[in-house]
Amino acid sequence: MEAAGFVKRYGKVEAVRGLDLAVAQGELFGLIGPDGAGKSSLLKAVAGVLSYEGGEVRVFGLPVTTEAGAEAAKAHLGFMPQGLGRNLYGDLSIEENIDFFAKLRLVPAADLRERKERLLGMTRLDRFRARPMKQLSGGMKQKLGLVCTLIHAPRLILLDEPTTGVDPVSRRDFWTILHELLSEGGVTALISTAYMDEASRFDRVALLYQGRALAVGPAREVAAGTPGVVLRIRPEVVGPGEIRVASSVGLSADRGGLAAAEEPGAQASSVSSAATVPRAFEAPDALELLGARYASVRGLGREVRVFVPGAADEGAATAALHALLGGAGIGFSITGREAADLEDVFVCKVAPHHADAPGGTGGPGGTDTPATSDTPELSGLDWTRDGGAPITPIISGASGEPARQADEAQGLAIHARGLIRDFGSFRAVDNVSFSVKPGEIFGLLGANGAGKTTVIKMLTGILSPTGGAGSVAGADMLRGGRAIKERIGYMSQAFSLYTDLTVAENLRLYAGVYGLNRRLAAERVVWAIKLAGLAGRENALTASLPMGLSQRLALCCALLHRPRILFLDEPTSGVDPLGRRLFWDILRRLSRRAGVAVLITTHYMSEAEYCDHLALMYAGRVVADATPEAMKAALLADAGPMLEVDVDDPHRAVAALRAAGFAEAALHGGSVHAQAGPGEARERGAAVAAALVAAGVNVRAVAQTPLSMEDVFVHRVLALEAEEAGAKGARA
Amino acid sequence: MSAASLDGILGSGRAARLRIWLRRAWALTVKEYIQLFRDTVLVLFMAYAFTLDVYVAGVGVNWQLNNAGLGVHDADKSTASREVAGRFRAPYFRNLGSVATREAGQRLLDQGGLMVVLDFPPDFGADILRGRQTAIQMQVDTANSAIGSLATSYGGEIVGRYGLERALNVPELNVDKIHGVPFIIDETRAWYNQNQEDSWFMALAEIISNMTLLSILLPAAALAREKERGTVEQLMVSPLSPVQILAPKILAMGSVILAGLAAGVFAVVIGVFHVPARGSLLLFFAVSALYIAFTAGIGLLIATIARNLAQVGMLTVLVFAPMIFLSGAWTPPEAMPSWMRLLMDCLPMHYMLDAGFGILLKGQGVGELWRELLGIIGLGAPILALSLWRFRRQFR
Repeated sequence: MEAAGFVKRYGKVEAVRGLDLAVAQGELFGLIGPDGAGKSSLLKAVAGVLSYEGGEVRVFGLPVTTEAGAEAAKAHLGFMPQGLGRNLYGDLSIEENIDFFAKLRLVPAADLRERKERLLGMTRLDRFRARPMKQLSGGMKQKLGLVCTLIHAPRLILLDEPTTGVDPVSRRDFWTILHELLSEGGVTALISTAYMDEASRFDRVALLYQGRALAVGPAREVAAGTPGVVLRIRPEVVGPGEIRVASSVGLSADRGGLAAAEEPGAQASSVSSAATVPRAFEAPDALELLGARYASVRGLGREVRVFVPGAADEGAATAALHALLGGAGIGFSITGREAADLEDVFVCKVAPHHADAPGGTGGPGGTDTPATSDTPELSGLDWTRDGGAPITPIISGASGEPARQADEAQGLAIHARGLIRDFGSFRAVDNVSFSVKPGEIFGLLGANGAGKTTVIKMLTGILSPTGGAGSVAGADMLRGGRAIKERIGYMSQAFSLYTDLTVAENLRLYAGVYGLNRRLAAERVVWAIKLAGLAGRENALTASLPMGLSQRLALCCALLHRPRILFLDEPTSGVDPLGRRLFWDILRRLSRRAGVAVLITTHYMSEAEYCDHLALMYAGRVVADATPEAMKAALLADAGPMLEVDVDDPHRAVAALRAAGFAEAALHGGSVHAQAGPGEARERGAAVAAALVAAGVNVRAVAQTPLSMEDVFVHRVLALEAEEAGAKGARA
Repeated sequence: MSAASLDGILGSGRAARLRIWLRRAWALTVKEYIQLFRDTVLVLFMAYAFTLDVYVAGVGVNWQLNNAGLGVHDADKSTASREVAGRFRAPYFRNLGSVATREAGQRLLDQGGLMVVLDFPPDFGADILRGRQTAIQMQVDTANSAIGSLATSYGGEIVGRYGLERALNVPELNVDKIHGVPFIIDETRAWYNQNQEDSWFMALAEIISNMTLLSILLPAAALAREKERGTVEQLMVSPLSPVQILAPKILAMGSVILAGLAAGVFAVVIGVFHVPARGSLLLFFAVSALYIAFTAGIGLLIATIARNLAQVGMLTVLVFAPMIFLSGAWTPPEAMPSWMRLLMDCLPMHYMLDAGFGILLKGQGVGELWRELLGIIGLGAPILALSLWRFRRQFR
């Protein structure tokens, strides 16, 4: 496949602006970039289903410019469009879908039978062959889509975001199948993805942004192409940092004071909540300082991961950080050093084009006052510094039942106790308990259908629980529905904006919905526009905003009434890494400065690491409830370190490792990742290397790579699935 | 939450609570107005439905016999045959000339070139002169049964009258000459619509039909769109009651429909067709407003059942088509089988039509319209309540 000067316009909008790419036979090539980068346009043009305005696309040397040329190439192509099961027929069974696509492609009956069995076996769909497609889970749909794309044995497969919206376990399955197929040779794959962390799965990647390729090459080389050092640090307050802690106390006291003025009964609880500030607030201020200077900064619990571009070595990077943080009286200790990943590179490369960019690509000379309108004005989030503006416009009295008082006294924002929800005979949520403190970012993880959304819907009062109890924002969940709704903000996956209204109209609507009076509403709308970085676009239709901006607008709509708790249901789907970073900056500041509790669900495992606390849901139950660090530590103790093995023949290496009992061995570009089993890294590395050598694979290097939340998630869920299967087997 | 507890918190009590309630509902109403007027296609459709469409219905739809094509196969060619053929006059008939053979006449009937063929036998004139019984054949295309039967009865009347005149041996029958003959003179006086203008009936029926369609469709589409986009969930999570979410839709859509109705009534129904508006226009619009609000309940009910906009479209057709048939807009209720008339009594639109004709043409007031008002309220209120209940139940 080859593209030269490829240009695609939609009306006046240039979606792809002169793209040059060449994909070699047998290559696994990745198109990585956020929504709107031009991935789909390119894939569709290659598939011959989209005309284009400039340049040339050639497939197997044939130009895909005329109808005839496209038809000739189509015989050797397999194309899977974006969206779960979009190319499949919902009412047909798995087998009928496959047969249909085979007949469409005139696959001989004997070939069909043989390929169908092999592909169904490989995807583990053979047990469900009579099940209608619409009843499959997202991951299964994607696997079936892949089978249908492969049934005519194409030489080039084009998959458009096959893993978007699929849970991590199914995503891993998907990659395993793909690697297995490609290991047999003869097939070339061009695959797009919005997940930066999937980059290492490809032989080569093209990093796309706004219709241009920022970089092309093997993921590791692309990442190494931008010089710099990634450090993990743990900030410690040594100087005037206490002021910030004091201000957090001030917030609680302030809120208590307001409540006391209007609700005599609330005095006791307000005093106690002022006394129980849940945590030290030091990390975020270091994060703010770093975020203002460096493009790629991630807050991970109490640690901060920062990419210092241009730094020659760890010493230079440390010195730069000392210069920056020392002035603010923040000391830090270095807790780790990592290799830059694609997201660092992407953010750094994009940031200079992006209005949010701190000047230059880093270094001590960079300015830290980005002053363009697109920049969110985060200082607006320091609610306590507003000079006593009311936090909620109307304080509704909640009935003062004892449970609420107890929760307030413990300083809990959310307290779920044994929540149950049935849909017919199906138990979607089974005895879920957890608690969230004010100022805490709490992540709810789980595969599609694990019950995350149902839990959120119960806590926000959209669904009533079948059983259990809980308190939200100091009101009883079952009885204080109206009071809860006054005190919480909610943002759903779909962002829930009115796309036919302008930015300002959306904000005014929600200001009205939350009952703000005219003066307060006008103030808050201005405030929210600044916070969303939408100054100058007040009268733009919401439909015309890019994903990142409409996401921030939706968040601001949910903040107009200054809620105590924010519920976010997969709020970052489809937003580019830079937009996600800005979004998380807002969340951090909200939680740290204003003490807002945040309950968030996400399917980006990299985002799970930003949370203070996580609960992992599986089949309606909470199966793990800990900090990200604790979860990773548990996995390390349980399953051992993750090793990256550099080998000559990665496909054979994976097979050899699996045969040797390393079941989760997986291909990542040119190297293999394997969970090595409990034990010390060096010793386990030797064991892995020995297994490979015994199988005749030449090992070049073995290194330990840090465990990710995705590793934790996949490992946990697989263990639970195995347990369940075992239990079933025992019963049978 | 009791009002008393809010009293304590807000100090100003019920008033403050009401103020906030209204502020919230108003914010949503403004939103509905903006969304409605930003939808150019919808606005144009509404403008069309209340003006041009009503005009077309009034002018174009006509239940009277007009310009029916007539062909004559005259094998007789006598004075009598020409006299009879000559009495098939405009505006009811249009004589398109003679037909050479019977077969040619039949063919023209089949092709639709003619609607009526008169066939005079060879000795028609002679038979009449001799006072012998004779017959002429009239073939009528009754594919459109209403117009066909009109043509048949007009033709029958013309021929019958000619026959009577010949029998009495008078050249032209009129009131002076009929004395002493036992003959009932048929003089009609039409009430309410003296000139029996079809346009009055049609324009009014059409504008009420369109008002009904829009009252169902607009709120249904608006709510379904919110369900599709997920915004309704956002509203449910904010401190809004179901009434607060639904009432602004009815208020915004309803007021716009009422404005359209007013434009249509003043510009077309009264302006162009000169419908007299004998009763109180204020009463007419008040009843219409009530009707629109309750009909919107049907729309909201549809939206709670439908999963997306396409389903709303289909369900609306499903509900609206029988409503039109059974309401009396197209067919007189008396002509229907009794079980259908029972069904009809369950349709608010039927009562609205009665009330509309009653007020505008007959000058009826509330006193005469109590049955219609009872029908509109008695049927509409439970539907509205049902839609509210279903909407609430979706989020349980």
